[in-house]
Amino acid sequence: MFARVSQIAGVLAVAGALASPAAAKDKLVINSYGGAYEQIHRKLVIEPFMKKYDADVQVITAYSADALAQLRAQKAAPQFDVIHFSGGQEVVAAREGLISPIKIEELSNGKDLYPFATEGLSRGEGPVHAVAAIGLLYNKDKAPKKPAKWADLWDPAYKDHVVLTDLSNSYGLLGFLMMNKIKGGSIQNPDPGFEAVKGLLGSAVVVSTSPEMQQNFAQNDAWIAPYAQDYAYTLRKAGLPIEFVQGAEGTPAVYLTANLVANRPSQELAKKFIDFSLSSEVQAGWANELRYSPTNKATKLDDTVAKEVVYGEQAVSGLMRFDPVAVDAARASLVERWKKLIAR
Amino acid sequence: MRDRVEDLALAGPGILLLALAFVLPIAEMLGLSILGTHRELTLEHFIRFLSDPYYLGIVWRTIYLSLLITAICAAIGFPLAYVMARIRPALRLWLIVLIILPLMTSVVVRTFGWMVLLGRGGLIPFTLWKLGFVGRNFTLMHTEAAIVIGMVQVLLPFTTLSILGVVMKIDRRLEEASRTMGAGFFATLRIVILPLAMPGILAGSLLAFTLSVSSFVTPSLLGGVRLPVVAASIYDAATKTLEWNFAAAQSVILLVGVLLALTPYIKLSGRRHG
Amino acid sequence: MVKAVPNTLRVFASLFVALTLVFILAPLVVVAGVSVSESQFIAFPPSGFSLRWFAAIFDSNAYVQALITSLKLATLVTVTATIVGAGAAIALHRRRLPGTSLLAGLFLSPLILPSIIFAIGLLMLWSATIGPVSFWALWIGHMVIALPYVIRTTLAVLADSDPFLEEAARTMGASRWQRILYVVLPQCVPGLAAGAFFAFNISFDEAVVALFLRTPDLVTLPIQIYNQLEFSPDPTVAAVSTLMMGLTVFLIATLDRFLGIQRFVGT
Repeated sequence: MFARVSQIAGVLAVAGALASPAAAKDKLVINSYGGAYEQIHRKLVIEPFMKKYDADVQVITAYSADALAQLRAQKAAPQFDVIHFSGGQEVVAAREGLISPIKIEELSNGKDLYPFATEGLSRGEGPVHAVAAIGLLYNKDKAPKKPAKWADLWDPAYKDHVVLTDLSNSYGLLGFLMMNKIKGGSIQNPDPGFEAVKGLLGSAVVVSTSPEMQQNFAQNDAWIAPYAQDYAYTLRKAGLPIEFVQGAEGTPAVYLTANLVANRPSQELAKKFIDFSLSSEVQAGWANELRYSPTNKATKLDDTVAKEVVYGEQAVSGLMRFDPVAVDAARASLVERWKKLIAR
Repeated sequence: MRDRVEDLALAGPGILLLALAFVLPIAEMLGLSILGTHRELTLEHFIRFLSDPYYLGIVWRTIYLSLLITAICAAIGFPLAYVMARIRPALRLWLIVLIILPLMTSVVVRTFGWMVLLGRGGLIPFTLWKLGFVGRNFTLMHTEAAIVIGMVQVLLPFTTLSILGVVMKIDRRLEEASRTMGAGFFATLRIVILPLAMPGILAGSLLAFTLSVSSFVTPSLLGGVRLPVVAASIYDAATKTLEWNFAAAQSVILLVGVLLALTPYIKLSGRRHG
Repeated sequence: MVKAVPNTLRVFASLFVALTLVFILAPLVVVAGVSVSESQFIAFPPSGFSLRWFAAIFDSNAYVQALITSLKLATLVTVTATIVGAGAAIALHRRRLPGTSLLAGLFLSPLILPSIIFAIGLLMLWSATIGPVSFWALWIGHMVIALPYVIRTTLAVLADSDPFLEEAARTMGASRWQRILYVVLPQCVPGLAAGAFFAFNISFDEAVVALFLRTPDLVTLPIQIYNQLEFSPDPTVAAVSTLMMGLTVFLIATLDRFLGIQRFVGT
């Protein structure tokens, strides 16, 4: 039904494009994640980039899932040039041809990146520009003791003060996969994880967004929650006594990627933008301002900051990555099963 | 024949708009509901939904919550509209303003106000705790009661205004006649006013029911992730897991279900409008 | 007539209205309270008193732009949806077109279908046929959603109208368009006014279609509020809402003072 209409409209669109005046400056449209993240994003990346390349960069505030849904729906006429994902959505976007592959030689910072940051390039995904480590957030004033391992979530000392995150949130999904892993499960076999979470649910609150997490620590007397390192810092800056610990069993992480949107005219400039996000200066900025861990080996950090992120060859090698393709394949069924488990 | 041409000219822009900008995109979307992963025809999405007690449970919750919300809206809206119709115009104007005031704020913000009132330590749980009815940690958030409270507040203006329009037109002499003939106030209300106001009550309830079945912002914010309704389930499938085919199938089920439920209703109100 | 209502009942009625108002306005009071709070967190009761969140709105280009976009959009949608809806409602009321009941169902269906499905479908269709979305895509989308309200309210008024008036006009030699313009349309006015009010509100408050059709230059107020709440909740969202409520009350009070809109809410 669409095909014929689109032929006619295609002709009209070409006519329209010929009639419109040429843009004065090169323009890029990107997405950012809003709030403090977006402020820092503008300060560290967007504004310096605009100055350096005399280009115009426009931002749409959208979380990864919303951005992917929008990108997929407008596949015929995409409006983004660079799209950032934080929940593994690049796997879907690459598979559906929504984003274009980038070669490592096209990125001047490519050689300085840790191997995990460019691993997705072979699948047609963009490079990883930042990492958010997932571990345990706890209230150091109120929690009876400092947690040390993931298994402590089931410690009766924290009963009634545990916050879990919905699996539709990528922090929540990774936290769950980790809980599943320490209980003996795998991505293909999530039974142990669901069984173990079931035992927690009676005395835990389930949230689905970061502000809800903040609200629970600020007002609802939450003591412990599996969540991300950068958010612990955000909560500290908001005046809450929240610390982050890496669970002894391992530290999974959210890998934030910058991807090149397919079928867009200014891909060259978009590649420059992605490359710009990978520079050691920008990445040091992310660590200083919001405690995201760098993916560029050349990034230099102060000791205080270095202690609050995953920094250095050795620390980075301790990061775990669940196979993104397997996670993507299992996502829908994991989310559905989770919803069934938590439904009252 | 010329009459039909005239009517077609009147309705034409609307029909054209809905055909091109609503039916066409919706048809494309709903068509996804019968396509499988390799674009083959399949009923798997419908079977997945209709054969799963979890999804049927969501449907059941959506239906009974919507019915409850509609009933409460009508039960408050009718007497409210009646009182409003019988007071001074100046007072009525300001009552209308106060009732539509919530519509001038974003639904997200309005709902947020409830979150503050109903949450742990919020005004209502705190008062109940002080009165000794509940424990210290009692919260109304993430309960079905919270969904009903929030939705009634959102929909009451729609119901009340629909009923008010009809009640205003009821001839007061009918009421006086009824009273003169010895009927008490409540008898008059029941025998004279209620039947005459019925078209408005039906129209208002129709609006309240349809809107509560298809809304997801208020139910998801107040009910939380553990009390999903159908619209929220559709939203999740469309944006969180990107299962558009499954989202489309759920929408077809919702659409057919509501239309079936409303058919007697529309017939009834159509006849009354006569 | 009023005498006929017993005094106890009048007390009951006042109490009932008062309680209902408390219920309807309670969350708004919270919002207004939060908007003047000094704290940067959203908490009630508010701590301290400060107007800094109101200042923040006017300092923020994003909020002002979003407000302008929303007002432009809602006004355009209101005007066009009311005109298109009036025509459709008159035609539906006459029941002379074949398949009138089917059409009536069609005109109601945007209310029932979750807007997320419509939003995705419209974005796909627009991208595939016209190209990148623009203000006009959002205008069309909101028209579709607002139309049912205009049609419902107008139909309700027409149902009580006198069918013989049009007949009388015909016998007295009025042409087709004269009859519609001078006889039918004036009867629709209360319904159209209510419909226009709802249409404005729907467009002004709509967040799902606007979310999918947004571009960097096309962010409506609800989307701006949603972004703020979702990503970094602070009392500016409360301040914006309080401002909108204040504006509504002010507008109605002014209109009433100079035009006496009480007349329009009946006698």
